[in-house]
Amino acid sequence: MLDWLLDPFALGFQQRALVGGMIAGIMASIVGTWLVLRGMSFFGDAFVHGVVPGIAAAVLFDFSPVLGASVAALVMVAGISLVHRQTALKEDTAIGLLFVGMLALGVVVISRSTSYAGSLTSILFGDALGVTREALVWQTALAVVAVATALLLYRPLLALSFDRAKAEALGMRPALTHAVLLVLIAASVIGSYQSVGTLLVFGLLVGPPATAALVARTVPMMMGLAVVIAIISVGAGLVISFYAGTAASATMAIVPVALFFVVLPTSRVVARVRAARAEPRSPAGAGVGT
Amino acid sequence: MSAVTDDPACRAEPESTVARAEGVVLRYGHHTALLASSFSIPARAVTAVIGPNGSGKSTVLNALAGLVPPSSGTIEVLGTTPERARSRVSYVLQHVTVPVGTPLTVAETVGMGRYPALGIWRRRSAADRQRVRSAMERLKITDLARRHLTELSGGQRQRVYVAQGIAQGHEVLLLDEPLTGLDLVSARTIDSIIHSERHRGCSVVLTTHDLGEARAADHVLLMKGRVVASGTPAQVLTKENLETAYGLGALHDAGEAFLDDPAHQRETTPADVDDVDASDERAGQSPAGEGGGQPRGHAGEDVDHSDP
Repeated sequence: MLDWLLDPFALGFQQRALVGGMIAGIMASIVGTWLVLRGMSFFGDAFVHGVVPGIAAAVLFDFSPVLGASVAALVMVAGISLVHRQTALKEDTAIGLLFVGMLALGVVVISRSTSYAGSLTSILFGDALGVTREALVWQTALAVVAVATALLLYRPLLALSFDRAKAEALGMRPALTHAVLLVLIAASVIGSYQSVGTLLVFGLLVGPPATAALVARTVPMMMGLAVVIAIISVGAGLVISFYAGTAASATMAIVPVALFFVVLPTSRVVARVRAARAEPRSPAGAGVGT
Repeated sequence: MSAVTDDPACRAEPESTVARAEGVVLRYGHHTALLASSFSIPARAVTAVIGPNGSGKSTVLNALAGLVPPSSGTIEVLGTTPERARSRVSYVLQHVTVPVGTPLTVAETVGMGRYPALGIWRRRSAADRQRVRSAMERLKITDLARRHLTELSGGQRQRVYVAQGIAQGHEVLLLDEPLTGLDLVSARTIDSIIHSERHRGCSVVLTTHDLGEARAADHVLLMKGRVVASGTPAQVLTKENLETAYGLGALHDAGEAFLDDPAHQRETTPADVDDVDASDERAGQSPAGEGGGQPRGHAGEDVDHSDP
């Protein structure tokens, strides 16, 4: 059994895929916890696609993908803000517009490349088995900064997730905190795109936190569970892809989503049992409306 | 253990007023919510801000909390700008939109009230934890500490939000419609907190639709897109002033009408309309506005239907 689990990681590139995937999973699940709590999943989805033209331009013109992705992220946020402020349209419409526009622009840019299909697939779906040692070092540094920031700003981020006006009244500077969260999301995408691709990093940003939210009673518990689920997803995804001959990045992204639908009915049953136990001992002072 | 004695009293404020506005205009974008108005809020007193929906009541509280800067004129809170006074002002909002599924317990929600004192990184001390416990005891929610916000009724949630405000440690407590649509237990508990805060030397400013609650206050601001009148309840809640704010014919009885509480409107039926004379008679017999720390007016009688 142990050999069966270890065989997929016998070679160096396979080990790098595991390490790269786990770093991506840890970073994405911690940042993703705040993304889910803020109710910004659609924005996150659009955001991971929005950086595509920047990375595509970097591939085509041979400059840093980090720089390209960062510029594209800024354009994306500025565009959403412009549409939202200058029109009566709701923010989700602005996000949808920029989502399609930026993804299409990315495909247009990469179509100028001689290896169009290969480059596009690599950006969107990653190349987990092609992660280099240098890329791992860079990814680790980015992950340490992103995770530390997401943990250190626990109070402002929790207050912002609770209520923006209340966060302001508590002096937790919600506008600045929101901006930092956008940077953290961008960092997760940029740091993970080589391992799992821009499209599939969304699976790690949303899947583990959403699954954890089904059972967690507190935000730190949700974060911890999300990290565990992400690590399991990456390991299980690589093992499955090794034996089933499927795409490594896509398999890693499918596992947390599948886990969500396994945990969902279980959590409903647990919630019903808990509610049934709580009912007979209705707490004193619970009020008429309980 | 006495919760109140564990909680330090409000700092003695040497000034006679905690807030003063001079010709202040408040806007949200292009919409003017408050026309040029001047008013003052007395220290160590309960001030009720009353007026019809959209009259600028919440906007005044937002301005006192430093959330809406004046477009013109000046507003001063505790002798400085509202932004600088923020850590000494506790604001309990009317609408808190916590997303469903957020894993937040009652204890953690109340604990957030300590954030202004703790800042981003400082660890909670024993005194911080004691303040949170004390606030929960005063609002009678200690037994709910480990429950999720989504597992509470609307009245229980409101008590949690008031406990969060109390835990902050403040000189001024702002409450936006704290009693609207609450169950009896929650309304009584919050009402007693409002008046005990004054006895502890704090200043309380609350918005309300309930004339009874306004009459029980020490000071009243009557609003209608501007401050129509301010002063003691007897000075402000006159038939003429109320007609100016609410329009002619808006009140069956200037003394005890319930005005436009949304909860009241929800419950209005054709039978109620037919029974106007009877309800006026009942209102006339109501003990509302007779002073003391008991709940006044209708708010405490409205059963909370917002079950989790």
